[in-house]
Amino acid sequence: MAMRQTPLTCSGHTRPVVDLAFSGITPYGYFLISACKDGKPMMRQGDTGDWIGTFLGHKGAVWGATLNTDATKAATAAADFTAKVWDAVSGDEVLTLAHKHIVKTVNFTKDSTCLLTGGNDKLLRLYDLINPEAAPQEIAGHTSAIKKALWCNNDKQILSAADDKTIRLWDRSSMEEVKQLKFDTAVSSMEYLADGEILVITYGKTIGFYNALSLDLIKTVDAPAPINSASLHPDKDFFVAGGEDFKLYKFDYGTKEELESYKGHFGPVHCVRFSPDGELYASGSEDGTLRLWQTAVGKTYGLWKCVLPEELGLENSEQLYTTPPEIKA
Amino acid sequence: MATPVSVLRLPKGPDPNSRGFDPKSPRFIALCRTSIATSASSETNAEQLPIEQHARSVLRETFLRCLLSMTNKKVQFLMHERVKVEATFGASDIDVLNFQVSDLHTPIGVQKEALIRCQDVISFTFDPV
Repeated sequence: MAMRQTPLTCSGHTRPVVDLAFSGITPYGYFLISACKDGKPMMRQGDTGDWIGTFLGHKGAVWGATLNTDATKAATAAADFTAKVWDAVSGDEVLTLAHKHIVKTVNFTKDSTCLLTGGNDKLLRLYDLINPEAAPQEIAGHTSAIKKALWCNNDKQILSAADDKTIRLWDRSSMEEVKQLKFDTAVSSMEYLADGEILVITYGKTIGFYNALSLDLIKTVDAPAPINSASLHPDKDFFVAGGEDFKLYKFDYGTKEELESYKGHFGPVHCVRFSPDGELYASGSEDGTLRLWQTAVGKTYGLWKCVLPEELGLENSEQLYTTPPEIKA
Repeated sequence: MATPVSVLRLPKGPDPNSRGFDPKSPRFIALCRTSIATSASSETNAEQLPIEQHARSVLRETFLRCLLSMTNKKVQFLMHERVKVEATFGASDIDVLNFQVSDLHTPIGVQKEALIRCQDVISFTFDPV
């Protein structure tokens, strides 16, 4: 029997959600952090969307947010010219790293000892979190604001995407540019999958897949609308994308076929990411909400419950909601 | 006609009265036990932990022995709001929240018996002789 996707809406933010990131899988499950223009990034339980806490301290819109692999630390990048590191268990602010302009992106190395930042001052910065008072190493080269910066190749290299329409690969030890990809239009998002060394890039209506080590093109897929963000499933069988038409699209990675599209958001989708176990994906939108979507619609997982046809007519089905009421932010 | 997938409930939203990070949650209890962060939370090597724990034990023991040797001695307390008082130290409570003192000399007279709130104390000195 065909099941219709029921997205779970996570409310709480009061302005557009511009970035989101999942942690790895920890003994306590996995977690999600969302960056919002209201300046208050939030941490949620990854499989249910339940709110865990809000990181209070930034004085401007938060443009980027990330968790380390075991979700013990969080980092945020904000329009108040700082990046902050937080204890993701207590919610306390641990470090404030002053920058010379709006910070847009933050990323931890796998061992959480180094934080990569990038922003409107066009510099990539590497902060040693063991000696945070030491001045950061700086990598110059981009000619416009940096939108996204990521560690790759086992933290030996760095990938950065900027408004100068380039994506550059840098070597961490030499701090030199190794390779560059040029585009005709600004890149809207970038995702890196360590397993398989795949880079997912979105620009215009296109989702491009590249080898992260060589920057060779694997394939491109075009969507019906301008895309702001895309994410490849950990098993590399599907990818999802969202953008300006408010919809989420699901594609088959192998055949490039559009499989499904889902309506739900009331504004453009700014970010979309698969969970580390691939069972769901989260989307953040201009409408101020995060929504969780099932990869396998109808499967029992998190808050979703598989209900067999016989059960639907039962008396004691009050605990099951077939149509969740819409909550206004 | 497709049936929408059922959900058990909706995701819990933020608590308007707090910033969250529930100290009673299993994750908090397991990972945030001490009030002063240990090196464990910043991922330094595991050999450092026994050394750190030993240092904590030494410091704690020294502090407790200091309290013992202060008994019945005159102690000067430097407290917030530029308060300097002298008293004869009696005892501390188990959580070091209050000190029981006698003959507390204050600007408005001598208090025969008093409790000093430890969180107001910046430092104290005494002559061990």
